[in-house]
Formats: sequence, structure tokens, C-alpha cells
Amino acid sequence: MADSPAIAIHNLRKVYGAKAAVDGVDLIVPRGCFFGFLGPNGAGKSTTIRMLTGLIPPTSGSIEILGMPLAERELEIKRRIGLVPDESLLFDRLTGAEFLEFVGRMYGLARPMAIERALSLLDLFELREKRKMIAEYSKGMRKRLAMAASLIHHPDLFLMDEPFEGVDAVGARLMKDILLDQVRRGATIFLTSHVLEVVERLCDHAAIIDNGRIVREGSMDELRGGTDSLEDVFVRVVGAGHEFHELEWLK
Amino acid sequence: MIRALLRAQWLSMRFSSGRSAWTSLVLAALWYGFWTLLSLVAEEVAATSRFERLIITWLPAGLLAISVYWQLAPMASGAMGGSLDLRKLLIYPVPRGSLFFVELLLRITTCAELLLLLTGITIGLLRNPAFDGLGAAARIPMAVILFAAFNLILAAGLRSLLERLLTRRGIREIIGLLLMLLGVLPRLLMVTGVGGRRLERVLPTASNLVWPWGAAAHFMLLPTGGTYTGAAVLVGWSLAAYYFARWQFERNLRFDFQAAQAATVSAKDRSFTDRLYRLPALLLPDPVAAIVEKELRSFARTPRFRMVFVMGFSFGLVVWLPTMLRGRITHNAVSSNFLTVVSLYALFLLAQVTYGNSFGFDRSAAQLFYLAPISISRAVAGKNIAAAIVIFAEVAAIALACSILRLDIPLGQIGEAFAVTAIAALYLLSVGNLSSVNYARPMSAQRATGAGSARRSQGLLLLLYPIAMLPVFLAFLARYAFDSQTVFYAALALAAALGIAVYWMAMESTVTAAYKRREAILAQLSGGEGPLVAD
Repeated sequence: MADSPAIAIHNLRKVYGAKAAVDGVDLIVPRGCFFGFLGPNGAGKSTTIRMLTGLIPPTSGSIEILGMPLAERELEIKRRIGLVPDESLLFDRLTGAEFLEFVGRMYGLARPMAIERALSLLDLFELREKRKMIAEYSKGMRKRLAMAASLIHHPDLFLMDEPFEGVDAVGARLMKDILLDQVRRGATIFLTSHVLEVVERLCDHAAIIDNGRIVREGSMDELRGGTDSLEDVFVRVVGAGHEFHELEWLK
Repeated sequence: MIRALLRAQWLSMRFSSGRSAWTSLVLAALWYGFWTLLSLVAEEVAATSRFERLIITWLPAGLLAISVYWQLAPMASGAMGGSLDLRKLLIYPVPRGSLFFVELLLRITTCAELLLLLTGITIGLLRNPAFDGLGAAARIPMAVILFAAFNLILAAGLRSLLERLLTRRGIREIIGLLLMLLGVLPRLLMVTGVGGRRLERVLPTASNLVWPWGAAAHFMLLPTGGTYTGAAVLVGWSLAAYYFARWQFERNLRFDFQAAQAATVSAKDRSFTDRLYRLPALLLPDPVAAIVEKELRSFARTPRFRMVFVMGFSFGLVVWLPTMLRGRITHNAVSSNFLTVVSLYALFLLAQVTYGNSFGFDRSAAQLFYLAPISISRAVAGKNIAAAIVIFAEVAAIALACSILRLDIPLGQIGEAFAVTAIAALYLLSVGNLSSVNYARPMSAQRATGAGSARRSQGLLLLLYPIAMLPVFLAFLARYAFDSQTVFYAALALAAALGIAVYWMAMESTVTAAYKRREAILAQLSGGEGPLVAD
């Protein structure tokens, strides 16, 4: 099981009515890698992540996480996943410390340990206003808290949907350092982001999804194919045919 | 502009599931069916010429009752109807007058039933030859329109004022309490006989021409002694209400709600209540204890919850107090079971902020219960236990309030109130759990009151409330029929056993639906709103 990939997806489909949001995705994410999952808006990134976390059931196909089939061993898998979703999973009427303690206990930590880890994570993420309710947090603080929550149970795999969105440069640097540190200790990170420079700098592997299908996949060097930047590759793969037409009345 | 707003709102709401739409439709049909019936009765009474003296005497009082209901019912039910979400609309170059006009129209959402009733009265009076019959074809409808406009405008002004006041912790609870006490004061005075004679003198004064209801009645019944002064007075009141409402609306536009609501958890709060919040962990294992603790913390910091909790032991007490005091003479059931009756009323009120829509305050964060390595049944159980703690705290608060008011409730009755409420709660929690997963909707913790769409699950609970109360009611009936406490307790035990079975079955259905509908539930809880606030 230790040799199995962190994520193995086979012919994954999710259909809404007549539209396939994810249409036959096959993907292998090796253990210990920093994997970037890219795609234009509405390409199927978030739907894929939601299926990986068990939030939505796939229409067909199979998902194996850390060598275990998701359908059969959901609870066991969840214990080993840390998640930063695109939508807030923060309870607004708790303080940051209370929320982190709550999450820790949900993942089976004993209360004293959950409290201890919560406090150290608040320090690490520079969320020191411990009496402030989450409702009063800024967007960047909310993202940092969500990432802190994803770390509290020391997971082996991180699933992150736009984790840097709305975070200032200092906060983003802090978060990146923490993530890189996690990869160094052997954890796997599966991340979506629209900021291609971030993906290019952090990730060693990536896949590009468009219209629910994987259109390019490989190591960062393979994707770039020599001298191109990731942005060039991305625009070429998913943005072909897009031309800028000036509107007469906007001139 | 108004059309654009309404269209945007309609587009925001169009994705509600067919089942939800049907439930709303059925509930609306029942509610408005009842009021249509009442309206027809009012029409028949108003159209009967031999009731002429009766109508002249009671019409002002009836209109006063309509005004009181119009202004207070939205607060009492905790549903203040739709309103404009000014944070979303102020960025557009829309004249403030237009926004105010839409806000006025939205007040119709809270008391459309009264428009039905007023229509019934109008048609009845037009059919009545004693009041000039069809000769009053212009006068009576105009009087009713002016009276309705006055109420509508006043309601808009009061809503704006309340919305601002209710953002402030402490003040919100006191204001709510005072308004509710004010609403039931006349009934309380009449039943207690306190100043009964004085009240008899006050009532005709309330019918005086200087009051809007008195003026409206005078204007309607012109040939039988009214004067056109009534119309002038009514116009004057409407103008005064307009200036008040406009002033309050403008103040709301300038008011920084976010700053007023900015809150931290005080050190005092932490040290004192922290130990209380942690008590469930002494008895329960994680993750249930963690969920209970999280729920209790969140409740205590949620304005809307606090408001309803305070209502439970204040408004509930005062509403039933007159019946209880009257019952001391007539020996009615409310008198001998006062604490139980008020507790059951509070149990119903708490549904909207606790068990009726368990995941409402969590909004999109409810996904954590699906993401964490726990079974969803644990999450529901944790939420139910937190709701039960709140329910018991409410019963204790009611008992305390009774003792402060020296209502002399025997100790046995206190125990009985706890037991009966607990058993009734089993049935209502079952309904609430099913409603939470089938009709999940996001709720705003910041807003002190709910709005229009909240009525769907409230309506559902209202509909099922009598059925859920049936086993407990049968126990009381058995006590009355057999005049035996033993029979009563046996029937209660039976109701409890049945309640546990019902709860168990409902839990299984809840869990199945929670997994089956997880996508829909999370989509509903994460849903955004249109330009109108309706949570």
C-alpha cells in the first residue's frame, strides 16, 4: 500500500443532466509530490476535488486514495486527508482557536492535544487575535485559518482548491513555506490555482483539465517542453482560438 | 428599476427544488386558505344590516387589532419578511426614493393575510345598505387603502428602526422583550381585571377619531355619524408614518451594520462560560461532545438565537398568562398545566433556530461534517443533544421567571413540564431532523430575525406540531378521563417509548437522506441570495 500512488483516478465521470462536468478523467498522482491541477474556469477542477473528498459521488469511474478505494474506505481515507476547499468550511461564530480545536477533535485528537496544536498553529499562521470571532476575519485570514485546520491532524495528503486566493504576499509566502515543508516530510499536495506562476514555482508535477478532460499531464519540465513558460503552455492548450475583439461602443 | 430588482430576485430563487416549491405552495394554500375563510366570514358579518350597531361599535377596535397584528406579528413570529439587501444595491445609481418604494412594497410579504381580511370587510360594508351600500363605492375602498397604506408605511419604518437597534447586543434583547410585552399588555390587563373599569374607559378613547383606526372607521361609516375629518386624520397619520419611515430608511442607509456587529469574545465570557461549554465533554465522547460544544458556543453568540430564546420565556409566558389567570376562576387546562403549556410553546419557537434547520447557521461550513472522518448520524446526534440542552435551559428559564412572578408553580409541575417537554421534543426533533436534510437553507447568524422563506420549514413544523403533540395530549386526556396520576404517567411512559422509536426511525431516514442528498444540501446551504434578503 505504501508503494501505491497518493491518488489514482480511473475513468472518472460526473454528469449533471446532459453535461459532463468531469468526463473520463484518468490521473495518477505519485506520493510525495507537489501536484498542480490546472484548468480554466468551469473546466471541472472543483468537481474533481469534491469527488476526491467524497462530497459528491461520481457518476462512474473509480478513485483510490493512498492505496484505498474511496467508496469502501471513506472514513479511513478522510482521517488522512487535509482539505482547503474553495468554499468556506469555517464556523463563523467560533474563534480561530475554538474552531481549530473543534476540527482536531473531529479528526479524533484528544482534547488537550487538539488545544495544544490549535494554539501552535495560530502562532504559526500569525492569527494571534485569539478572541476574535471568525465572522470578523478578513478573507486572507480565513484562508490561513482553513489551511491551519487542514494541518491539525497531520495528514498525508492535502487537497487544496485555490488556497492562495485573497491572501496577501506575506501570508502567501508563509503558506507556501509550510506546504513545501510538508512535501519535504513526505506528504503529497494536490492543488488547484489560477495563479500559474505559483504553480510553476511550487509544483513538480501538473495536469491541465479542460471541458472535463485531462488535456496535458506530466512533470513540470515535460509540460513546459523546454523554453515555454507554463502560462504559454496553458493558453495554448486551453485558450486556442480565443481572440480579442474590441467592442465598438467601448472605444 | 423595480422590475429589474424583482426579476433578479426571481432568478435567484428559481433553482429551488420542485419538492420545496410544492411544500411552499401547499403551506401557502393552507395559510391563505384560512385567512380567506376568515375574510369571507368578516364579509358576511359586515354585509348584514341588522349588525349595524355592532359594526359601528366594534369596527374601530377591529381595525386597531389589525394594526397591532400588522406591526407586531412579524416580530412575534421572528419572520420579518423580505427586505432589500442594501449592501448589494447601494453601489448602483438607483434613486433612494425608488429603493424606499420597493422596501414599502416588501412589507406586503409580512402581512398579505391582512389585506385579504380588509378586502373581505370592504366588500361586506359595500354590500350593506346601512352604510350607504354601493353609494360608498369610492369612500370605503379609499378608507381601506389609506388605512392599509398607513400600516404598510409604519411597518417599514418600524422594521428599519428595529433592524438598526437589533444589531446591538443587549439592546436587541431588551427592545424585543419590551415590544412583545407591549403587544400583549391590553389582553393581560383585561383578563387580570387590573384597572378593568379604567380599561373600559380607555377602549372608547382608542376608538376616537384622533387615532388612525378610529379615523378609518369614521371615514368608512360616514352616513351613520362619521365625518370627512376621518379622511383628513387618516391622511395626516399616513404622512406622519411616511416621514418616520423615510427618516428611518435614510438612517439605515448611513448605518454601518458591520461595525455595529463587530464582536470579539470577551475574556470574561471565555473564562466563565468556557467551563460550561466544556461540560458535555465530561459525559459524551468525541466527536459528539465537540459538536455539542461547538453548537452551544455558536448559539450563545448568534443574535437570532438569543432573541428567540428570550422570546421563549418572556413572550411565551405573557401570551399564556391571561388564559392561566382566567383559568384560576374557570379551572381550565392551561391554568393547571401552565408551565408545561409555556414550555411546549417555547419548544415550538426554538425550532426555527435549533432543530428545525440544524445546518442553517453552518451554511457552507456544513460540508465539514461530510469531510471529517465521522458518520453523519454523529453530527445529527450532536446537534440534537445541543438542541435538547437549550430546550431544558429554556424550561428552566421559564420556571425561574414563574417563580420571580410568584406564580406558585408546585415542584411536581416543574418536573412534569421537563418530562412532557422532553417527550414532545423527541417527536419534534424527529420532524426537525427530516426537515433539516430535506429543506436545508442557509440562515444568517447576524440578522436578529428571519424572513419570508424561513416560513417553509416553520410552516411544516406548524403543520406537524399537532400530530407530534398527540401522544402527550393523549396522556393528559387520560389523566382527565381517569382522574389518575398513575394512568397519566403510564401514558407518558408509553408516549416516551413511542417517541424513542419514532426518533430512531426518523434518524435512519435522516442519515439516508443526508448521504443521498448531500450534493443538494451543500448547494442549498452555500446558496447566495438575490437583491432581497430572505434567509
